[in-house]
Amino acid sequence: MHLTVIPERCSGCKVCELACSVGRENVNNPKKSRMRVMVLYPHPVIRMPIVCKQCGVPKCGEGCPTNAIYRENGVVRLDQEMCISCNQCLTSCPFGAMFLHEDIEHPFKCDLCDGDPLCVKACPKEALKFHPKHILGQAHRLSVARSYAKMSKVEYMDDGQKKTLKYAKITKGGDDER
Amino acid sequence: MSVRGGYFFKILEVDLTSGTSEVRPFDEEFALKYIGGRGFGARILADHLKKKKKIDPLGPDNILIIAPGPLTGIYLPASGKNSFITISPATGIYGDSSIGGVFGVELRQAGYDAVVLKGRAPVLSALSIQDDSVKIVPMPHAAGSTALEGEQLVRAAIGDEDMKIACIGPAGENAVVYSCVNTDWSRNAGRIGIGAVMGSKNLKAVAVRGSKDLPVYDLPGLMEVSHEGYALLKSHEFFKFWQDQGLMSVVDYANKMGILPTRNFQETVYDKADRMNGYMMEDRYKIGDSACFGCSMSCGNVCLVKEGKYRGTVTEGPEYESAAMLGSNLGISNFAYILKANALCDELGVDTISTGSIVGALIEGLERGFLTPEDVDGTEIEWGNEDAILELINKIAFREGVGDTLAGGSRAIIKRWPDMARVINHVKGLEQSAYDARGAISMALGYGTSDIGAHHTRALTVFNELETGNNLDYEDKVNFLIYHQTIRPLFDMLGVCRLPWIELGFPEEYYQRFYKAITGVDLSMDELFERSRHIYDLTRTINVSLGISRKDDYPSQRTFEDPVPSGPTAGKVIDREEYEKILGMYYEKRGWDEDGKPSMSL
Repeated sequence: MHLTVIPERCSGCKVCELACSVGRENVNNPKKSRMRVMVLYPHPVIRMPIVCKQCGVPKCGEGCPTNAIYRENGVVRLDQEMCISCNQCLTSCPFGAMFLHEDIEHPFKCDLCDGDPLCVKACPKEALKFHPKHILGQAHRLSVARSYAKMSKVEYMDDGQKKTLKYAKITKGGDDER
Repeated sequence: MSVRGGYFFKILEVDLTSGTSEVRPFDEEFALKYIGGRGFGARILADHLKKKKKIDPLGPDNILIIAPGPLTGIYLPASGKNSFITISPATGIYGDSSIGGVFGVELRQAGYDAVVLKGRAPVLSALSIQDDSVKIVPMPHAAGSTALEGEQLVRAAIGDEDMKIACIGPAGENAVVYSCVNTDWSRNAGRIGIGAVMGSKNLKAVAVRGSKDLPVYDLPGLMEVSHEGYALLKSHEFFKFWQDQGLMSVVDYANKMGILPTRNFQETVYDKADRMNGYMMEDRYKIGDSACFGCSMSCGNVCLVKEGKYRGTVTEGPEYESAAMLGSNLGISNFAYILKANALCDELGVDTISTGSIVGALIEGLERGFLTPEDVDGTEIEWGNEDAILELINKIAFREGVGDTLAGGSRAIIKRWPDMARVINHVKGLEQSAYDARGAISMALGYGTSDIGAHHTRALTVFNELETGNNLDYEDKVNFLIYHQTIRPLFDMLGVCRLPWIELGFPEEYYQRFYKAITGVDLSMDELFERSRHIYDLTRTINVSLGISRKDDYPSQRTFEDPVPSGPTAGKVIDREEYEKILGMYYEKRGWDEDGKPSMSL
C-alpha cells in the first residue's frame, strides 16, 4: 500500500497534521505530527503535505551511523534503541520527511499507522490517498490515453441529448510520419 | 469552577520603545470572565484607558493586543482565528479585527494567550517570537516594501522559513487609517486600521513560531465532539458547493435580494453581476482551494488571470466583500480587474471594503459636483475606469496627491469637503460593508450600533429580515440583532470562525461542548452569551468614555434619504422616526440609558 499526495487538491488546512499528532502522540500539536503541510505563495502557488514515501532504498538510512533505520513490510522504521539522535537522517531524506521536536527524544517519521493512516481518513479534500501499489500511475495512464490528440469523434443523440464518442481510428500501415 | 485547560495563563507584554518584554500571568477568574480573543483585548484596553483617559490612536500611548482564543489551533472545525484589538485611527474608538490562517495558532503554540504591544520602536523593526525567545529585529531595509515582500525580508532576516508572519504594507507605514496587517498571503486583519497602528509603532511585522502542545483538558472527549462536528459539516447539502465557491457565492444571492452595492450604493442590483460571480470565478480563474487552519470548508479561492492585460495576477481571493466593493460598487464587472485590484490592496495593505467605498464616493462626488477635477489631481475618474481606480489605490497607499486626504478615511474627506457627507456611507468613521441596509431596518440598526462602525461581521441580519421580514415586529428584529451581536463576538472570543455557523448552519451548541472539553468548565450556551454581552457592554463603555453617544449610532445619510431606485428592494428607505423608535428599543433591551450609555464603568 502506498500513501499518495495530491497537491492539486490540498487546501493547506493542516487537518492531517492535527489527526496525526492527536492520534499518534495524544497531544494537540501539529509540530509533533509526522507530516508537514507546505503552503507556498505567490510564486509558485502550491499547497503540499510532505510525508514519508517509504522508499525501497531509504536514503534517510544511508548516513545513519548505527543502522537504526530499517525497512519492514513496506514501512521504513527507526529503531529507537539503536538511534543516537545525531539527526543525520533529517538532512539525508531528500523529501524532508523526517521530523524533530524538542520534547521528543528521537527523530520521528510516518509509519502508515499500521496500515490505516489517520491523515487519509481526516483529509477533507481527499488530497491524501492510501492505495495498493498497482494503482500508482493509473490516473496518469488513463489521462494520457483519454487526451490523445489525434482521436476521431462521432456525434450522436442519446435520449434526446447530443453526445460525443471519441475513438482512435484504426490505420493500415504507412502512418510512419508521426 | 476551575479552569483545567485552554490556557497557558501567560500574556506577553512587549515595550517597543525600550525593546524589552515580560510575561505576565493572569488568573482563572480573568479566563472565565473574558474567555480570550477580543474579550481579553477589550479588558486589557479598558484597563489601559483607565490610566490614560485620552489616547492618540497613532501615538506611542496606544496599545495593540494580539489575541487568539482558547479554541484557536485545536482539532475542531475552523479553529484558526486570531483577533487584533486597539484604538482605531479610523474611528478614534475601540476597534478590533480578526484573521484566519495559521498565525494565531503559532502564537498559541509559542505559549501565549495574548501579546500586548506598547510604545514605539526607534527604527522600523519586526518582533520575533520563537517560543520563549522574544527579540526585536531592526528592519529599516524593509521600508516601503509590500506586505508579501516584507514577509520574505523578515523570513530572511530571522532565518526561519517556518515562521508565520503578520506584516504591513506601505499603507500601514504611511498611516492610512484603513490599512491592514496581512498574514498567510491574503488573510488581512482589516477595516479599522491595525496596519497604521503597527506603522505608527515602527513595527513592520510580527513573526511567530511555536512548538508547544496546546492545553486540552479532555482530548478523547473533544475528539468525539470534533469528529461528529466535521461529519455534520460534510453532510450539509451545500458543503461541496461551499468548497467550490466559498464567499463568492454571495454575489448572486446579494444581487437576487437587491442589496448588492452598485455605483456607490446608488443602486442595489447589478445587471452584469453574472460576469463577476462565483461561477465566473470557477470557470475562468480559480486554480485552487485554500483553507484556514483546521477547516474543512476551504472558503479561500486561489485565482489566476491567464490572459489579457492583467495576465499573471494571482491572489487568494477575492471574497464577496472585495468583489462587490471593488467591482459592482465601482461599476466594474471585469473579474480579472477585480483580482488585480484585490491583489493590489493586499500587497499595499489597504482594506478592500473601505477602499472600494471611498473610491465609489469620490466618483459619485465628482458626478454630483461636490468635487472638481482639480480636487482629484486633474485625473478623470469615472465608473468603470479601471486604470484610474488602480492608480488611485496606489495614491492612497503612498498618500500622493488626493490620496493623502483619502487615506484619512471618511472623516478626513468630509472635513475637507463637507458636501461629501451626502455620498459617503459610514458609521463612526468606518465605511459600510457590502450589504445595503435600506430594505432591512435591523441591518441599518446593526451598522448604526456596531461598536467598531459600519461593519457586517458584528451582525448580518439583512438576509433573514428580507426573507422573513413581514412576519417580524420590531421586538423580534431587535432581539435577532442582539443575538447576532452576541454570538458573533463570542466566536472572536473563543478564537474560531463564524462561517460554519452562519453559512452551513453548524449548531451553536457545539461551541459549548468544545469549550467544556478544552477547559473543563461546563458553561451553558446562555452563560457563554452572558460573557459576550458583557464584552459588548464593555466595548460600548470604552466608546462612551471616548465621546460616543446616541448621536453616533445612525447609519449613513443615504440609508435615510435615497429610496432604492429599482430591483427587489425598490422604493425601500429607512424612516428616521422609525429608526429612532427601534434605536430606543435597542438601548432598552441592552439595558443602556436613552443616550446609549451602559451603567458599568471602565
